[in-house]
Amino acid sequence: MFDKILYFFRRVLRNIRQSPVLCTAAIGTVALSLTIVAFFGIVVLNVQKLASHWSDEIQVVAYFEREPEGSRLAEWRAMIERMPEVAGVEFIDRDEAFKRFRQRLAGDADLLEGFGPEILPASLEISLKENHRDRQGVEAVVGRLRQNPDFSDFSYGQDWLERFEAFLGLLRLAGVTLGGFLLFAALFIVSNTIKLTLYARREELEIMALVGGTPLFIKTPFLLEGAVHGAVGGVFALCGAYALFQVFLRKGLGAFLLFSGGDQIRFLSFQQMALLVMVGMCLGLFGSVLSLRKFVRI
Amino acid sequence: MIQLFNVCKSYQKDSAALNNLCLKIPKGDFVYITGPSGAGKSTLLKLLYCAEKPNRGQILVNGQNITRMRASRIPLLRRSLGIVFQDFKLLVSRTLFENVAFPLEVQGKKRYEISNKVYQALKHVGLHKKIHHYPLQLSGGEQQRVAIARALVVDPLVLLADEPTGNLDFEVTLEIMDLFKGANARGTTVLVATHNREMIRNFPRRVIALENGRLVDDSTP
Repeated sequence: MFDKILYFFRRVLRNIRQSPVLCTAAIGTVALSLTIVAFFGIVVLNVQKLASHWSDEIQVVAYFEREPEGSRLAEWRAMIERMPEVAGVEFIDRDEAFKRFRQRLAGDADLLEGFGPEILPASLEISLKENHRDRQGVEAVVGRLRQNPDFSDFSYGQDWLERFEAFLGLLRLAGVTLGGFLLFAALFIVSNTIKLTLYARREELEIMALVGGTPLFIKTPFLLEGAVHGAVGGVFALCGAYALFQVFLRKGLGAFLLFSGGDQIRFLSFQQMALLVMVGMCLGLFGSVLSLRKFVRI
Repeated sequence: MIQLFNVCKSYQKDSAALNNLCLKIPKGDFVYITGPSGAGKSTLLKLLYCAEKPNRGQILVNGQNITRMRASRIPLLRRSLGIVFQDFKLLVSRTLFENVAFPLEVQGKKRYEISNKVYQALKHVGLHKKIHHYPLQLSGGEQQRVAIARALVVDPLVLLADEPTGNLDFEVTLEIMDLFKGANARGTTVLVATHNREMIRNFPRRVIALENGRLVDDSTP
């Protein structure tokens, strides 16, 4: 068994040595396709991270008509904390609210000269659990709280939330559609490039069949070769994507992310890089599978 | 060894390449398949190595009914055959050693066994000194000898040769026929499809004559 595997890999290396131009074409095709996929993947992943960071800010603020007494406050807090969507509740009294308002005004704080904390209502800042930080979660909490007449108003960024959710939906749809389209196009191109390499070797395939090679024996080195082309193409795609990342994305998208309150722009993680190489390998392998069907017939 | 029972083969609706052919070729025979172009010589050989299937009739090779054979078993059948073509069908990007070793690699033989057998096969055809040459560095006659070495290296039960001397001059033809005679002397059944009458005159053996897909003569000198 081990001898056979070694034999197949020797044949793969020999095939690659004997047809360097065709191999370069196959590897180049995979590398170019995956570079584009990786580039868009980096953009989408970083923007999704920013969107996720924004969603951390989603919370409900319930303003009191009158500052509540201690025992009632504790009851409300317990009731709200029992809601399935709620992660935590923080009481902001009038003094704290006034202090925060002054801080937010920064250099214009002297506008508050002559005013006191009584101008601002006390509130409950309700933070939501991660999987409920969307319009549904927010509206569920607000819907229950509205039934309580002690709350005068609610703030939860209604308009912003709708736009944010629409943006996220569009981003996901664009990512899936574009990624799917690019991968399909890559598979098509890789398959046709491999078909050309097989066409150049059709005589070899015919002779292998005539001397008694089984379809599996004939196909295996070409399948392995396709996988090797794909994996090497994937590695080159990583290099290409990194070059594009340094030249185009670091300044442009990186600045936008920092400006928008997000983290620094990041390249693909180690697992994502490994996945890209695996995708390249699969592209090469499936490209070979599709092409070999036409050429290997007993 | 080889038996054909009422075999018919057509490529197009109104023309039959083989028409109701019945043949019996015992083990160890040396047979010429002759006839003009289009007689059905190549078609007969293709049926024997399962490159084509007959439309009607049965074919037995070494006791196996190859007309009913599953596609997965065809490679196994072909490992017991040696096939030689008019255009040699050598892999030009591989050395003579690699070309002749190919059928043995397909059969999963060990490397030391392959090296030994390939050397012996090439020595037998007189080309062992060019073992690391490439086919295009050889003459037509030498290339055909390499093809014969590849066919004989597996010690086949049957050697099928389709116009093996079609592209070669008379002197080379004699050398090739000597190799076929040698293989036949060692017990291999040999079928040579040819319309080269001079070759048949110089090496008289059983002749099966075809015309328009039908058997018109079957004679032994």
